[in-house]
Amino acid sequence: MIALNKEPLVKMVNITKRFSDVVANDSVDFELYESEIHALLGENGAGKSTLMNILYGLYHPDSGDIYFKDKKVNIRNPLEAQQLGIGMVHQHFMLIPTFTVLENLQVSGRGPFRLKPEEMIEKIKRISSELGITVDIDRKVHELSVGAKQRVEILRLIMNRAKILILDEPTSTLTPQEVVGLFNNLKKLRENGNSIVLITHKMYEVYEVADRVTVLRKGRVVLKSLKVKVQPKDLADAMLGQQREVKPHDRPEVSNPALMRLESLTVLDDEGEEAVRNANLHVAGGEIVGVAGVAGNGQKELVEAIYGLRPSLSGKIFLGVNDITRAKIRDRIENGLGYIPEDRKIRGVALDLSLDLNSIATDHWSKPIINYNFIDYQKVKEFASKIISTFGVITRSNQSKASTLSGGNLQKFIVGRELIKEPKFIIAENPTAGLDVGATEYVRQTLISYRNRGRAILVVSNDLDELLELCDKIVVMYKGRLTAPIPRGKFDKLEIGSLMLGKEAETA
Amino acid sequence: MTSLSVDLIASAILIGTIPRAMPILLAALGETLDQNAGILNLGVEGIMLMGAITAFTTEYFTENFVLAFIIAFAIGSLFSFFHAFASVSLKADQVVSGTALWFIGWGLSGVLYRFYFGNSPSPPVIQTLHHVSIPYLSNIPFIGRLIFGQDPIFYTVIMSLLFIHYFLFKTRIGLNLRTVGENPLVAKAVGVNPSLYRYLACMFGGGMAGLGGAYLVLTVVGSFFYDMTLGAGFIAVALVYFGKWKPLRVFVGSLLFGAVYVFYLTAETYFQYVPYQFIEMLPYLFTLIIILIAGTRAHSPASLGKPFHEE
Repeated sequence: MIALNKEPLVKMVNITKRFSDVVANDSVDFELYESEIHALLGENGAGKSTLMNILYGLYHPDSGDIYFKDKKVNIRNPLEAQQLGIGMVHQHFMLIPTFTVLENLQVSGRGPFRLKPEEMIEKIKRISSELGITVDIDRKVHELSVGAKQRVEILRLIMNRAKILILDEPTSTLTPQEVVGLFNNLKKLRENGNSIVLITHKMYEVYEVADRVTVLRKGRVVLKSLKVKVQPKDLADAMLGQQREVKPHDRPEVSNPALMRLESLTVLDDEGEEAVRNANLHVAGGEIVGVAGVAGNGQKELVEAIYGLRPSLSGKIFLGVNDITRAKIRDRIENGLGYIPEDRKIRGVALDLSLDLNSIATDHWSKPIINYNFIDYQKVKEFASKIISTFGVITRSNQSKASTLSGGNLQKFIVGRELIKEPKFIIAENPTAGLDVGATEYVRQTLISYRNRGRAILVVSNDLDELLELCDKIVVMYKGRLTAPIPRGKFDKLEIGSLMLGKEAETA
Repeated sequence: MTSLSVDLIASAILIGTIPRAMPILLAALGETLDQNAGILNLGVEGIMLMGAITAFTTEYFTENFVLAFIIAFAIGSLFSFFHAFASVSLKADQVVSGTALWFIGWGLSGVLYRFYFGNSPSPPVIQTLHHVSIPYLSNIPFIGRLIFGQDPIFYTVIMSLLFIHYFLFKTRIGLNLRTVGENPLVAKAVGVNPSLYRYLACMFGGGMAGLGGAYLVLTVVGSFFYDMTLGAGFIAVALVYFGKWKPLRVFVGSLLFGAVYVFYLTAETYFQYVPYQFIEMLPYLFTLIIILIAGTRAHSPASLGKPFHEE
């Protein structure tokens, strides 16, 4: 399918990009040919997204040149990229959730004053049947699955005459079945003459769909090849360098009684619908239980009910032997509950307050820090310093605002604050979302060592690979129901994927 | 109370509702467009008063009501330009800047009145607009007079209502405007300039509020007195929430409000055993109730009131 003698469509030469003192791209060369799927492979933080954001005009390289069809181009913003036929699907979809698919596709800076829905519908139908990309035109976007939203994004790019499609980690929140569908769509697009850049950190995707691969590590190109010429071992070596994959951890046998237990828990969402239905769950000391599922199947409501942010309609929540179903959050925390929230900048910290003050966010009532309702700032400082040094948080001072911390450091700080008092049970919600490889590894190792001290953890994550790596048991959440726990020995990615899509299963 | 007085109240409501509803409808339509672009303008009350005083002054000295409406629209746009500058360019808190606008309009309209008309105990009066009966249609029994026998501006308002509905939901520019109110980044990604949309929507919204004030003076009251809007600007903002940011629903809300208002005006005469202070509360109590009902389930444009930070 690939003619080797052809000239590349896009050539990026000697691209260097620094962010303050971090070199994200170091003299990177990258070529993209016509009608190919090109995997840009690397660990989180290797510089893949930075490189593609440069091509898309979101960032400007410190040095280096971009050639489009052999002509040197200066892409100053995404609009200029779009004019060259370059489109990008970001991890956060650029869609309006309350609009229908049709409305989303009609938003445009150019065109006649009056909308012509009939013409648009016809155009959508034509292109979608040509490419086999199915979308539900009249549905509102917030009702769609992640995979369907992604198809809308891809369709929009094609309709705007994009020839080059950049997809940033498109599979990270898809079920395995949706991944198959996406890859079929991409192959069809390739036949249609499009070029696709697939940003990914999953090696098997290279073999499944890519024609060519470029591997980045720490901002440098370490390998370039047609996929047929590269062995999996070489690919892994290139991607990971000397670092060896962390082996699934051995752990002490669990025989402790449950540290956290749900009994027929039912919780309503904001609209008054049942978001969690009759859920039963059992998390014992010394184990990590993962909740897998496509986002929006009740995970958020489940977590909020356990932590006490949302009332439960019926059922019971036990922490150890205590029934905490109706307890206040403060009582839950005093009973040994910790929470690492997903929105670390919204729920995790108060961005405009210092690390000192943020360190007492989840305990601002007990001695010795609080004495007769007065804050002992000396003690606060000592406490914050302890978190900062124990968990390796990099910051200028204790007085720095939380907003000055990088994502990884902020997460270390929050994890530290929650774990330092050794609660018996902790909920971690997408604990590594958006973190670079170092911080991700640190957070996971921290959770594992905490488990090894006999504590219990519930991890809720949209990233199935993360759960497969981290958890001792996985339950799948679909439309508010939890399946029976699947033990580590029986993890089967496809099976879990079809449960995530609603395949009938014995409920717990 | 006799059945005669019930009839009188009922017919007063039928006849009086539309004129009372129009000023608020004008302001609420402008605010609807404004908020669909993501700008919350709480200064509507002040802008209406400014529209009222400028329209009154213009009409009094020139007797040209078209000019009076144009100037009221212009002054409303000018006021809102400052709001747009604060909330779009300076990315300031929209509640603070809107409130400032209210205070300025409130005070300045009173000062201007004193400046032109002194402190006379009986305010000067102008001729309100004549009603125009549309031939044949106004002869339809009962509803004919009601719908086809109004003043000329009424027909313009209804046409602008239909146009704003058409604009928001049937045109590309309207869809882009709603996109700006939901997520300016998405709009920017397809080549739409969110700041420009917000400036124009805000200035149009202010102009409409100015027209609302002018309508009150030129066709309903025929005079100006200090603080004459009596909270109509805030009720207009409330109606946008009641109408869930859709012009036709806002229209329905404004009619409901007009009816309650006329009821309060006439009921004072008939319910003499009820302290008038309680009856005067009615329009505001009504506003409170519809906000409580509508506000709990309303989904506002996602970026309403949030400045757009380009990354």
